Amino acid sequence: MDISRRSFLKLTGGTLAVAGIGVGVGVTPALAQPRKIRYASEVPTICPYCAVGCGIIAHVRDGKVINTEGDPNHPVNRGSLCSKGSALFQIPNNDKRLNAVLYRAPGSDHWEEKSWDWALDRIVRKIKDARDKGFQKRNSKGQIVNRVENIASLGGAGLDNEEVYSLVKFKRALGLVYIEHQARI
Amino acid sequence: MAEYIKLIDLTKCTGCRACQVACKQWNELPAEKTGFSGSLQNPLDLSYDTWTLIRYDEFEEDGGTKWIMRHDACMHCDWPACVKACPSPGALVKTDTGAVVHDKRFCIGCKACVVACPFDIPRYSKKEEKIAKCTLCYDRITDGKPPACVNACPTGCLQFGPKEQMIEQAHKRADAVGGAVYPSNPKYETHVLYVIPTEIQLAQLQHVNPNPKMPTTILWWKNLFKPFTLLGIGGVAGLAALHYMIKGPHRVSEKEEGGEADG
Repeated sequence: MDISRRSFLKLTGGTLAVAGIGVGVGVTPALAQPRKIRYASEVPTICPYCAVGCGIIAHVRDGKVINTEGDPNHPVNRGSLCSKGSALFQIPNNDKRLNAVLYRAPGSDHWEEKSWDWALDRIVRKIKDARDKGFQKRNSKGQIVNRVENIASLGGAGLDNEEVYSLVKFKRALGLVYIEHQARI
Repeated sequence: MAEYIKLIDLTKCTGCRACQVACKQWNELPAEKTGFSGSLQNPLDLSYDTWTLIRYDEFEEDGGTKWIMRHDACMHCDWPACVKACPSPGALVKTDTGAVVHDKRFCIGCKACVVACPFDIPRYSKKEEKIAKCTLCYDRITDGKPPACVNACPTGCLQFGPKEQMIEQAHKRADAVGGAVYPSNPKYETHVLYVIPTEIQLAQLQHVNPNPKMPTTILWWKNLFKPFTLLGIGGVAGLAALHYMIKGPHRVSEKEEGGEADG
């Protein structure tokens, strides 16, 4: 193929233009990161761990807690949390969490799964028997005390404020006097 | 969107590590297996799953011990070396909020950013073959919320706000405590500022670059050599096309064909 001066120049220009594409191309895809809690409902709660009682917002979607963070409008902590409170998310979402009642019979060396009905019935039976046995109407001085001294209660750190409140009401109604909580020990 | 700055006031940090946990929780990062090291710093270094960390530096002072706790995470440079070095479009992006964000979908695991970063922040995972680092909670700040670490901080050590306001606040605080603002290189601005107390020299702290700047090798490669190589690639392709137009496709002569059959 013969090539004139004119077409040589044209082709040279075209070559340089192609070469330029390699330099000029710079793609920057837009970042699309929808915030994961955007369509979640916000449920305020109180941190269960210590006596400060920081406010926490639990973000709930489809009945699942998908995030927890400090409540910026709460007068106690104004959004801040300690490292323990920051990790509250792990209480509802944890693969180590038990999903069924485990029972170890006295003297047994293994745990067995039981139903909630069985467990609740057994707990109620035990409480009733112990309370009937140890109930004191009057103390040694003859004063009315209506107390139960052979049952003690120990609250756990995973309980929140409202749960602890109702538990204490229930225990006082039974007449318990030995009521303790992990956070105080 | 306005540019933001995260201000870290080292005089106020108590080392409670709420920021560390909040970061893990918001970004859904798994915990790491750690051991005893003799220091309260735990884990010992940033990793693919640990984007922020409190670093504990101990000093002897009047016979006693003094601690400096430092929240260490990505500095979100105004002119980020990692973004400059990154060859994969979209894997590392400087956003208009000032946050430098990585996107794992586009990361090719070349580790160019790990080498380039003047603060030694991006961490590579052999298992995932990608890098990860702090994103300044880009998904939160674009929605009007502070980053998870700032939201969790109980002492006000971490603060977050518009750029000008935070710069002013940093210098005010530095003057009040007689300290310094870091980084102070006007040619290499960052979207994270530290207020460092006077009695501490930057060089005494671990994992600090007292004079951060864009690595020259990155500039040489990105601004000079790489365009030439691209020009070369384009030139070869163009010249090949030119050759095809002038000479046409290659034809095998009968003589050569015979020779090949013998060989």
